[in-house]
Order: sequence, then structure tokens, then C-alpha cells
Amino acid sequence: MKKKVLLMGKSGSGKTSMRSIIFANYIARDTRRLGATIDVEHSHVRFLGNLVLNLWDCGGQDTFMENYFTSQRDNIFRNVEVLIYVFDVESRELEKDMHYYQSCLEAILQNSPDAKIFCLVHKMDLVQEDQRDLIFKEREEDLRRLSRPLECACFRTSIWDETLYKAWSSIVYQLIPNVQQLEMNLRNFAQIIEADEVLLFERATFLVISHYQCREQRDVHRFEKISNIIKQFKLSCSKLAASFQSMEVRNSNFAAFIDIFTSNTYVMVVMSDPSIPSAATLINIRNARKHFEKLERVDGPKHSLLMR
Amino acid sequence: MANMDSDSRHLLTPEVDHEISPGPMNIQFDSSDLRSKRPFYIEPTNIVSVNHVIQRVSDHASAMNKRIHYYNRLSTPADKALIAPDHVVPAPGECYVYSPLGSAYKLQSYTEGNGKNTSLVTIFMIWNTMMGTSILSIPWGMKQAGFTTGMCVIILMGLLTLYCCYRVVKSRTMISSLDTATWEYPDVCRHYFGSFGQWSSLLFSLVSLIGAMIVYWVLMSNFLFNTGKFIFNFIHHINDTDTVLSTNNSNPVICPSAGSGGHPDNSSMIFNANETGIQQFETWWDKSKTVPFYLVGLLLPLLNFKSPSFFSKFNILGTVSVLYLIFLVTFKAVHLGFHLEFHWFIPTEFFVPEIRFQFPQLTGVLTLAFFIHNCIITLLKNNKNQENNVRDLCIAYILVTLTYLYIGVLVFASFPSPPLSKDCIEQNFLDNFPSSDTLSFIARIFLLFQMMTVYPLLGYLARVQLLGHIFGDIYPSIFHVLILNLIIVGAGVIMACFYPNIGGIIRYSGAACGLAFVFIYPSLIYIISLHQEDRLTWPKLIFHVFIIILGLANLIVQFFM
Repeated sequence: MKKKVLLMGKSGSGKTSMRSIIFANYIARDTRRLGATIDVEHSHVRFLGNLVLNLWDCGGQDTFMENYFTSQRDNIFRNVEVLIYVFDVESRELEKDMHYYQSCLEAILQNSPDAKIFCLVHKMDLVQEDQRDLIFKEREEDLRRLSRPLECACFRTSIWDETLYKAWSSIVYQLIPNVQQLEMNLRNFAQIIEADEVLLFERATFLVISHYQCREQRDVHRFEKISNIIKQFKLSCSKLAASFQSMEVRNSNFAAFIDIFTSNTYVMVVMSDPSIPSAATLINIRNARKHFEKLERVDGPKHSLLMR
Repeated sequence: MANMDSDSRHLLTPEVDHEISPGPMNIQFDSSDLRSKRPFYIEPTNIVSVNHVIQRVSDHASAMNKRIHYYNRLSTPADKALIAPDHVVPAPGECYVYSPLGSAYKLQSYTEGNGKNTSLVTIFMIWNTMMGTSILSIPWGMKQAGFTTGMCVIILMGLLTLYCCYRVVKSRTMISSLDTATWEYPDVCRHYFGSFGQWSSLLFSLVSLIGAMIVYWVLMSNFLFNTGKFIFNFIHHINDTDTVLSTNNSNPVICPSAGSGGHPDNSSMIFNANETGIQQFETWWDKSKTVPFYLVGLLLPLLNFKSPSFFSKFNILGTVSVLYLIFLVTFKAVHLGFHLEFHWFIPTEFFVPEIRFQFPQLTGVLTLAFFIHNCIITLLKNNKNQENNVRDLCIAYILVTLTYLYIGVLVFASFPSPPLSKDCIEQNFLDNFPSSDTLSFIARIFLLFQMMTVYPLLGYLARVQLLGHIFGDIYPSIFHVLILNLIIVGAGVIMACFYPNIGGIIRYSGAACGLAFVFIYPSLIYIISLHQEDRLTWPKLIFHVFIIILGLANLIVQFFM
């Protein structure tokens, strides 16, 4: 049975846009719909292995949703690995939002008690800059309180700054069971090949799972930028019915290699010594690939998300 | 996401130079290619390092740009969900247009040919920006040069600066290799002279700004003093029994510098010693000792504002002041009549010769009076019909020349010469009217208010240019800004106390800043660009070198006068 990632939230809270941006799907239809989503949206995206993304609208037409909820509840909430709940920070119906959120939590508690719960307080760009921290802290406290006994992690997000990417990267990071080991191996790998920076991306979303840098880099936004650039490139490739596999970028100051790594990750290696021939680095990456795949296979199927 | 493992066909077609091809999997990126393929336009406020050959953009702006690009690919044009809302897109930087002694105001920036201003509006804006406080020194300048010489010098300087302005406007179009749509004149200088050009144009621009601000301070102290005196005398019904030389009729004209012989001094008038109240007022309200300091309390806070767009709303006061001055001069001329005598070389008791060798003082003043070269490109960009740019520029210059001629000739000619000597014409011609004169009181009030609203704008422009280039941030901290403002205000106060000769300040700063912007850069850039296109001929070269020499001579000779 495929495990699910549930992306839930009130109608109009920004889930579809978020999904499009993170997963680089074209928006299939106009997001300003007149009514709530009646059916759940399935995305057959291989996310972190074998996870399937399900998108749910919550709290559109009250009575209808209540009925649907109760009758289909078990179906929806079984086999959930991750619940991501989106709150619109500008919503005027805080009570109702919390009510639906609690209903979801009850269902999760009954059907998938091991699921990880993440709450995103979305559309923060509509809040004045000096008030953002305050408002987010308030919401976070409320949500933590309401979620007991379950634990939820809260993030504040907006599609117009780097917070969305960072939140999803944190979510992905927490979903990988052996991430510390991965990081240590990554550091060894980077030091052996004398790379400036090595990044590990999730394959579908190009979210940064882990990275190693040997010195301070100037641009803190570089992960999101690379992710956006590559996703844009993938969209262009798909127009030609081609799929993106690898890339090398080189100039007099550096050489960067983006390539498939394991079955669920991409790697990006940045070398600041351009005199090292590409072939050498590519051989190194190929050899490291075998090692990292072995790492993934070492963990049993129960614990590892990356190998299903 | 299909066929990850099967297809090993290379998807990226190699665009390589076959001689240095390192292999089918590599794409060579030539760094100079990167610059010309730059796909986006970043507002200047986001460019943080202009000294580097490749302009760097702030990381935040670059990330936002990538984000917007990517989101655009995800949605159809009809879909509004992923279009950047106004509050996340950085606002275009405020664009100010100014002439150092004229007006300064905020301008909507348009790209080429999209301006909405009709020719009439453009001509008016050029006239309005140039017209300013230098008008007060034109009669004095004419007096220094002699009447006939003065008129000829005004016309010739007008033509010369017009030609140089035309060169400035054309300089941008001669650069064909780059996109110069957003360039202003300092950018052109940087293109030709590298960072030396940029730094020197910044320096000269600051010279003109700070010179203008000092002049403003001196004038504001003067006007505030006279206004205060008028009000005090009006309230206490005091008849101004000056011991200063003056005409005895209903339109008195005074000669403040008659007693001190040459160097005009801002010392106060001598009053009847029995009136202790008046004496008290005299000690507390002195043109050079106390009033400049009162202004500090008024204006220093205004200088510290982050954005002076509030003050740019008062731009209309400048036009009103100039129009009122024209009316005032006409009125006085009608009542005083004409007093002209033509002596060609020899000064007489009441008249100055027609040709004097101090005419460079007038050219110095006129260099700043006709100065608009730093922002003429931006002003003309807003013209609806770009092909009329040159014609509109010429018309504007003709109007400015006529205005200066009118004021200069009328004040000079109507100055009552039998009782007073023409030599009495002050560097600020309003000083020739006593503080009790109502019409000039109104003029002083207008000008005082107008200057108080332009002063913070000029301070903002000086701050933006200086701090922006040194620290990369136009408002690094309140302390930097405060120190800069204190220096500028201090310079103004010192000048107001010890050397309140606005004619002198205008001619020195005018000749200095005009040297770069009016004479040297336009001609030199024209010569260089012609040389690059192999179209340089001997007549053109000689003519433009002659202009450069004129500019240098203009500056050097100021120090000998």
C-alpha cells in the first residue's frame, strides 16, 4: 500500500499553488474556483521514494464536507506518512479553521497514529513585516496546544520569499530517517574530492536534503535559486518530451556538476579548482553513487523512506 | 519523470567551440557571454557594487527574480494566482531631477519614447528646473561685466551651454553597443572614462550641490533677517532711519555697501542708541551673527528625513517666486525709470564702463545659471515626441536666456544712478531694497519658503550620491546621515557668517562643476566617440578643444578676479 502525504487546508489557502511550485507541475486549472474541491486530487508524484501526494480541500461547504468526511474518513486517513496542514494567515474564521484541523487530527490519531504533522502558516507576505514574528508565534502556540497529544512542527511560509522552500526542505529533512549518517558520508565525499560544496537534492522537488560547504558562501538564497532554475529547465525539457538527466556548468572560476545520484536523489558538486578535469569529478561521483545506494539499502524497509 | 534509468542519450546539445572542445558533455560558458545574455533588468537600487566590471545584484533581488521567472512558467497568462503582487515586487527607485540652484522634483521614469509630456510641458519643466536663485545675481554680474558686455556674454554663454547640452543629449545615442535606455549622464561618463569618470562626475556634482546649499543658507539667513526686521518694524511702527545711502522717494533703493567701501558686509544697521528695546532686538537678530544659527534649528531636522518626497510637492513655489520677481522688477522699473549712460572704457562716479575686464565673474555665475546637464537626459526622456527633443531644448534655452536678460537689463537700467552709483548693485539684487519695502518683503517671503522646501531635497540628493557611492546604502545609519548633514549645514553657517557673497560662491562653484559637466566631458566624449568611428576631422577637433580650454580658463580666471 502506497504511503500518502496529505496536503490539507481550507479552500483558497494556497495548496494548489504550493503544490505546483514545489513539484513543478503546471497548474491544471484556475485556482480561483467557484466551489470547493469535491474530490481529492491525487498526484502520482514519487516523492521521497514511494510517497503519493494527496491534496484535500477542507472546510468549503460545511455540511457537505462534514458528511463526506465522516463517510470517507478512514479511506482518506489510512496509511498517511505525513500530514501537511495549510492555514491562511489572513483567514477571518480562526475558530472554524481550528475546528477542521482538530477533526483531521482525530482522524489521524485513529488511522495513522505514527504520521508526522506539519502546520504551515501561509501567505505571510500579506502581513506587515514588523508584525510577522509576533503573529506567527501566537499561531504556533495555539496550534501546539490544540495538537496535543500529537506533536506538530509549525512553519511560516509565503510563496514570495524563501520561507516556503525552507519549510518544505525542513519537512523533507525530517522525513529521512538516516539523515545524519547521510550528512556525514556527504562530508567525507566532499573532502575526498576537494569540492567547495556538495548538495543533495530530492529528485522530484529539488528540495535540499543535506549539504556540505567547506567555507562560508555569500548567497543564502542559493538553494532555492538552483532549485527554481532546474525546475524551470525541467519544464522546458518536458516540452520537448525529453527529461533532464544531468548538467555541467563551467567557467574560469568554478565547475559545477548536477547529476543523478541515488534512486531518489540528485547531487550537485561545486569545484572551485577548474583545473581538475571533469572526467575525474564524474568518476568520483559515479563511485560515490554506489556507496550511497548501499547506504540506503542497509536500513530495513520499515525504517527507510528512500527505498520502498 | 519517466525513463530515468534507461535512456542515456545526451539531452543537452553541446554549443562548443570545436577547437577547444573538451568533450560532448560539457557546455562552455564564456564569462563575457554571460553579461550580454543577461535576461533581466534590475532596478539600480538593487545593484550593490558598481565598481566591479560585472555589476552585482543583491542576493534578495536575484532570488526574487528567479522565483518570478519560474512561477511564470508554471501558470498560463490568464491565471492570476502566481503573478507577483505589488507588495513583493520592489518599487522603482525614486528619480529626482534637479538643477543645483533651480528646482528639484521627483520624476516618473519612463522608458524611451513612452513619456507622456507634450513639448510645452517639457519646455516648461526645463525652464522651471533651471530657473532659480541665480537670477538674483544676474544684475550684479552684468554690472561686473559692463552693460553691453554683459548682454553679449549672457547670449554667448547661453549658446555655448546650449551646444554642450546638445552634446550631452546626443552622447548617449552614440553608444550603439550597449543598451543605454536607463542611463543618465554619469553613466555615460563611466562608460568612456571608467571609474575615474564616475568618481569625478560624482565629485563635481557634489560640488555643485554643496555650493548651491551654501548659497541657499546665505540667502535664507538674509531673507529671514529682513523678514524679521520688517515684521518687527511693522509691529513697533518704527521708521527705518537708516544711515545708509538711499534715494528719497516712494520707491527707495539703498546702497548697503556704500559706507564700507567695496567688501559688502552683513553688519547690522546703526540705530539710535536711546532705544534699548531696538538694541536688544539688534543683538538677537543679526544677519551674520545669530540668524544663520536659528535656521539650524529649523532645517537640520528636515535634512534627516529618509525620503523628501513630501517637499517635492512644493515645487510650484519656485515658479511662483520667479514670476513674482519678474513682476517686481517690471513694477520697479516702471516707477524708477531708466538711467543709462554709455561710457565705453572709463568708469565715472555713477556709472560703470560698458566693457569691463571683470566679465569672467559673469561667466562663472552663468555657468551655474544655465546648468542642467546632469539631468537633461532624464527630462527629455519624458517627452512624448522624441524627435522634437533638440527643438524643445533650444526653445527652453532661449526662454531662459530671455528671462535672465530681461531681469538683468531691467534691474541694471532702472537702478537710480544719479544719487547712487551703479556699482551699488548688490550680489543679491533684493538687498538693494530696504527691508521696509513691502513688495520686496513679499518676494523675500516667497523665496524663503521656496528655499526651505528645496533645501531638504538638495540635501537628500547630496546624501544619496555621496553615501550611496561610499557605503552602498543611502541611509547607512542615523549617525552617518547626521554627520553629513552637520558638515553641510556647518559650511553654510560659516559662509553666512564670514563670506556671505552669493555672487562669489555661485561663480566659484559654477565654474568648478561646469568645468566637468558643461565643458570638458561633453566635448571630450564627442571627440572620443568620433575618433572611435573614424569620423574625427580637424575643424571639429579644434573647435571642441577650444571649448575645453574655455572651460579651464573660466575656472582659472575666477581666482584672479
